[in-house]
Amino acid sequence: MEVTYGLSPEAVIVAPVGRVDEATWEKFGAHLSRGVEEAASQSRPTMIIDLSGIEYMSSRGLRALTVAKQEGVGAGVSVRLAAPNDIMREILAISRYDRLFAVDETVPFAEGGGA
Amino acid sequence: MTADPLLVRFWGTRGVVPVASTAREVRAKIANALVVARGASIASFEDAARFIDEELDFAATATYGGATSCVEIESGDDAFFVCDMGSGLQQFGREAMGLCRRGRPAKFNVFLSHMHWDHIMGFPSFLPAQDDASTIIIHSCHPDAEDALRRQQDEIFSAVPFEAMAATISFVAVRPGEEIEVDGLRVTAMQQDHPHGSFGYRFGDAAGRSVVYSTDSEHRIDDMAREDAFTAFFREADLVICDTMYSLAASNMAKEDRGHSSNLVAIDLCREAGARRLALFHHDPFHDDEAIQRMHEDSIRYEKLTRGGFPLDVLCAYDGLEILL
Ligand SMILES: [Zn+2]
Ligand SMILES: [Zn+2]
Repeated sequence: MEVTYGLSPEAVIVAPVGRVDEATWEKFGAHLSRGVEEAASQSRPTMIIDLSGIEYMSSRGLRALTVAKQEGVGAGVSVRLAAPNDIMREILAISRYDRLFAVDETVPFAEGGGA
Repeated sequence: MTADPLLVRFWGTRGVVPVASTAREVRAKIANALVVARGASIASFEDAARFIDEELDFAATATYGGATSCVEIESGDDAFFVCDMGSGLQQFGREAMGLCRRGRPAKFNVFLSHMHWDHIMGFPSFLPAQDDASTIIIHSCHPDAEDALRRQQDEIFSAVPFEAMAATISFVAVRPGEEIEVDGLRVTAMQQDHPHGSFGYRFGDAAGRSVVYSTDSEHRIDDMAREDAFTAFFREADLVICDTMYSLAASNMAKEDRGHSSNLVAIDLCREAGARRLALFHHDPFHDDEAIQRMHEDSIRYEKLTRGGFPLDVLCAYDGLEILL
């Protein structure tokens, strides 16, 4: 699973690409954990998960989001979702994850990329 | 040679506590149906039934019912098979007594997932238990199953003590993972995550068909290895009956540790297992028919959005539903 990390003044932006399912959820979860750590170490209060590159996500991916949210609580980092495609928007509604997470329409401009 | 039919009949599909439609709800359904039907020519019951089937959805004209967990499996054998003894057991018992009067042997193989009240409350009013011609064999993985059933009929809770039940009642201890054969069906149990523990059962017949009954089972966000064990348990089943009481968000946040699961996890597990059909089960007693129907429609939509291979048929169990496998 491809991923890029970016920084805005307020947030670490994690942008994974592909589908999150049985085969990829572990990597996806690891990327999110790293994003939370980055946000804490770079003194950013927020991690934004840029969903624009995500085709779809099964329950395993959704539960990885919950784990990231819980890790964020421990690290003082709030986790937001941004830019879901139409399918992801529907999945967030069906799972009621749109009540668990703030979902932004767009992703803030990232100043510089990490690896 | 054609195989005997394998039929699953739902007598109770609700979780936690029995519920019933109110007069106001029934009246609203009738009023709405009459409005939709204005101008249609409906002169007979048959016309009306056709109109209902073609023009109205399930929640508009029917109900998912409110009896708690009780599912019958009918195989080629004369013996009755029933999963759990929730309040749905009462109606099952009444129908079974009728069949027994017409000659069917009064032998009942019961499989208990666990002893929470919604899964045993039908037993004190189970008519076959009050008949000395009946034989009731209660299979359970809990060593304290008999104690729980006796305590349920303590004088403080019940007018009829367990000892006064006229049927011949016995208990069989089932060990998870060890296949047993019961009157022509092969049965395997599996431990599930639930307060005081619960157990799922997989039933297989001689023709190779299988049904899994998996209710009151929590699938946690951080225990995916355990999930692989469920995928194996559900493997290529013709029907999997799953606890889908909560949304995914509720099951892993507000309702964590309550011991229940979600429609989305059930769909993903069934799909990974290559199961053919999923029945959504153990409905939330706070949900009305419209809410359950929405959950069913959402489930079908999610299955379609995330489908990789062949489709999974997602059904929503209701009291009275029969599925022929
Ligand atoms: Zn229950
Ligand atoms: Zn329970």
